[in-house]
Amino acid sequence: MALLPPLGAATPWLLWFLPLALLPLVLSVTRRNAVSSVSAAPEDPLSSGLRIALTAAGMLAIGGLVLALAGPYRAGERVTRIGIGAQVSMLIDRSGSMNETFAGRQPSGAEESKAAASRRILRDFVGERAHDQFAVTAFSTAPMLVVPMTDRHDAVRAAIAAIDRPGLDYTNVARGLGMALSQFGPSAPGVSRALLLVSDGAAVIDPRIQGQLRAEFAKVRPNLYWLFLRTKGSPSIHDKPAGEDTPQAAPERHLDLFFKSLGVPYRAFEAEGAEAVASAVRQIEALERDPIPYTEERPRRDLTGWAYGLAVLGLLLLVLAKLAEAEIVRLPDRKQAPRAADPAPAPAPTRAAA
Amino acid sequence: MSDPEDAADIVYLPRWRPGGHRVGAHRGRDAGGLGTFRDQVGFLRLPDARRIDLRASLRDPFEGVVVRRFETRSPVETYALVDLSASMRFRGRTDRFGLATAFCAALARSATRIGDGFGLMACDGTLRDELTLPATRHRAAAQAAAARLGTAPCEGRGAEGLLEAARRLAGRPKLIFLVSDFRWPQELIERVLSALALHDVTPVLLADSAEDEGLPAWGLVELDDLEGAGRRLVFLRPSLRRRWIAREAERIEALRRICAPFSRPPFRLADRFDAEALSRHLMTT
Repeated sequence: MALLPPLGAATPWLLWFLPLALLPLVLSVTRRNAVSSVSAAPEDPLSSGLRIALTAAGMLAIGGLVLALAGPYRAGERVTRIGIGAQVSMLIDRSGSMNETFAGRQPSGAEESKAAASRRILRDFVGERAHDQFAVTAFSTAPMLVVPMTDRHDAVRAAIAAIDRPGLDYTNVARGLGMALSQFGPSAPGVSRALLLVSDGAAVIDPRIQGQLRAEFAKVRPNLYWLFLRTKGSPSIHDKPAGEDTPQAAPERHLDLFFKSLGVPYRAFEAEGAEAVASAVRQIEALERDPIPYTEERPRRDLTGWAYGLAVLGLLLLVLAKLAEAEIVRLPDRKQAPRAADPAPAPAPTRAAA
Repeated sequence: MSDPEDAADIVYLPRWRPGGHRVGAHRGRDAGGLGTFRDQVGFLRLPDARRIDLRASLRDPFEGVVVRRFETRSPVETYALVDLSASMRFRGRTDRFGLATAFCAALARSATRIGDGFGLMACDGTLRDELTLPATRHRAAAQAAAARLGTAPCEGRGAEGLLEAARRLAGRPKLIFLVSDFRWPQELIERVLSALALHDVTPVLLADSAEDEGLPAWGLVELDDLEGAGRRLVFLRPSLRRRWIAREAERIEALRRICAPFSRPPFRLADRFDAEALSRHLMTT
């Protein structure tokens, strides 16, 4: 963080007149009194202090006016601060089954679909903490980048508001995970990262892609949360299938096993209703509490008023000094040269004689 | 003072008995024919038959012849040594240099009127030859020199030329008026006065009430040194004004102390040239 905020001027060429502010070093505001010897006056610290003050006031007045004419401002900037929050990349299932209720039916009446429930809960999650950053990625057959990593919570909320649009097609977790991972930019130290997968099903991950994903997870090292919206009656992620235990037979269980094998902090939440989803989100929220650097926009600020204020301060001092001015002598014929006056007054009586 | 011929003369009394054979206005050292009675000497010492003192001769038990001697009246030479340093340009209640010029004119008039010589030397860093006038009894020449002084510019920084002037004045004692504001280093004052110690010196201190008693009690004043010592801002207030006046008084007292072994006490010429005051000073010191 820079100590001095970047400053600028609306009409910078006027700043070339700033050296005029040095004039008070040479010239003085008070009228000069020619005396035979300045050392006749006793030493006086108050007077020398006043001299410095008046010189400074003169410089302040001229400098302030020039500065004010140039129109100074402090440029807008981005300030990086540290807050409490996390980078959360949300990966949301948009497959067709998300349109159904937790009971596995098309929603009717007061019932809400899994997508609508997750939308409602996730929307509250966004914006709970000011400095969280979110990215939203949706996936079905192909992943869709909805919002890249940002701290504009309005945009994130708008993206989440759109996830209850009717979904389509199948669940292709692998590519979605890849895109969601790519939302974490270059790593910053100490930033808490969370990948939140919201889905109601799973799919087989190709062993080849599994290798790639492992590498990605090892690189980014996010905390992985899987919010499994389980339809009533469908197998749990912990259930062993009755028959052969293959990824094809129990994709949820094997995805869970895959996640566990990644070596990153991982938690799975199995939710069978809107309340369960809400409690899962609250838990995630509570877990992700780490300091995070965030940037803040500071708008450009006009400093002309300050410059005029400084000039007024200087001018006020100068006016006061001018009012307090006194003279050693007040001669009626100040303008006349001392000995040019030929019809001589009192002290020069000899000219007539000479 | 409209007609300078009517103005009061400066009356002075030399501290020494001038010698020489010219006839002047002051009591001379030598005995001569006319003038005030001085003493009686034997005829053989002064074989002047016209001045035999008959009564004293008859009274003399040894029957010697006694002759009266009379003091000669001799002239003196007066010189005005004028400081031309820039500080003389000061104008307070009056024009300081105008005051110096007025003094010189009055001295020229007073001296030449009684047959004394008047000379003028003006000095800044050096002796200014174009303003120098050797002592003359010629009244018009003396007045012209005093008037010429009035047109001289004062721009010098110092008054070291006075030492040169003192060298030129070596010789018979003279009546010397040292006209300056004496804003010199003390050391220079001492050197000048000791160089002039053979003469009868009267320092004429040009002062101005604007520089001490006439100071305002309150106010900001910017002082600009005429001799180029820079500017200074002074916030005048009663306490500072008292200190200032005390300092000036101290300076004059110091000058008086320095002058004491070499010359008459300084005469303070302030605001207005007053010939009678100067005469009183010269007659009483």
